[in-house]
Amino acid sequence: MGVIESLGAVVKAYPQARAVAFADLSSSMILASQGRDDVTQEILDRLCKQARASFDDPLFSLSVEAFGEPHGAIVMGLESVRVFLRSESEPADALCCICDHGIDLAGFVARIRETLEHITAGG
Amino acid sequence: MNKGTLPIIARLQSLQSAARVAPGGARVIASISDQSPLAALLREVNETMLGRALAFESSNGTSLTLEVSGRRVLRLTAANGLSGVDSCLSAQALEDEHKDDLIKLLQSVAAPRCELRVSASRIGREREEVSIGLPVALLADLLLIDLNLPEAASEPGLEPEPPPELEPKALPRSKVRLPPAASEPGPGLATGPMLGRFARGCSPALIAWLIVGGEEDGTTDGPEEMISHLQGFLEVEGEALSLQLDQISTEPGTPVCIQLGATLTEGHSILCARSGEGFLLGVIEGDGTQTLMRAWAAALA
Repeated sequence: MGVIESLGAVVKAYPQARAVAFADLSSSMILASQGRDDVTQEILDRLCKQARASFDDPLFSLSVEAFGEPHGAIVMGLESVRVFLRSESEPADALCCICDHGIDLAGFVARIRETLEHITAGG
Repeated sequence: MNKGTLPIIARLQSLQSAARVAPGGARVIASISDQSPLAALLREVNETMLGRALAFESSNGTSLTLEVSGRRVLRLTAANGLSGVDSCLSAQALEDEHKDDLIKLLQSVAAPRCELRVSASRIGREREEVSIGLPVALLADLLLIDLNLPEAASEPGLEPEPPPELEPKALPRSKVRLPPAASEPGPGLATGPMLGRFARGCSPALIAWLIVGGEEDGTTDGPEEMISHLQGFLEVEGEALSLQLDQISTEPGTPVCIQLGATLTEGHSILCARSGEGFLLGVIEGDGTQTLMRAWAAALA
């Protein structure tokens, strides 16, 4: 299954996921995405920057010092829940997601973790 | 105890350490009594994924600055009180041929029976290439240091002593207590200021927290040692944290919350939220994802 198909499978399994994007955090670039039509490239670009900022200091250092390197972040605002996962083997590889409130977060996180590692492994 | 929990326990212990910040803002990563400051130095590099300049300063008067990214030492950019620095300092990117010289420099700075401090700063994005540099795992292998074990275990011939179990419930708790929390936010919680409602709604996953600023300023709950560490972090990093929250917010000035952790569903995570002038900072244990989302929605209502 290619990257697009993998992302599409996540969106299909979780309709509350508005967008699921595969990004390279080192260059802050979205490489592929799937989701609703109203999620524009500008929104995805902003999402990628938010992902990078989520894994930045000072919270990154606090997390590292306390519990080890963080590979996941959930950001909640007024309108949406954003989930960011970094690959453990290729830390620049990340999935960036915009979800509606009410999504099964634990199941979603497990699913996109599996998807990310599959993509990173070249699958 | 499961061996896999040792690094977590070691880090939890460090979280409860009373004095971690040296004058000037640097963090103390090894004290005089630590058996292997060198292991602490390498672990610091190992835990740095985004591009950073890490300035290590020893109480023996030596110091050096490394540019690191993606668990690699990219460059040596400064050194004081050390000899034999020329080959590494002049290299545009550290390569295999520099590893022996670099190890000698690291051993000099991270000398036994010396306090070792580190301060981090950003490096330019164009200097972050991760395809260059010396992998910290290689340096650790050459120095027989296990990056994933507490210090005692990294000393050859020493059996790792089982660290004392953390018993958060047995620790003295802060004096400012809140009403007993419900396992899920209910209608009764939708009263009072937002951050406090959110924190109570996150219980029992949220094991320690405090609010700084706003009308709930000074409200805390959880083990005092953890609260003290979180308080110290906010005092030092408050402004930077505010900037970080600005960057992850979709709309400036609106409430925002972030949970940051290794897996988000196991172990421990950091929770940080902002509403108005108030900041909430706390520690989550286990899978709090669903509880957090419900609590957030309830607090916003």
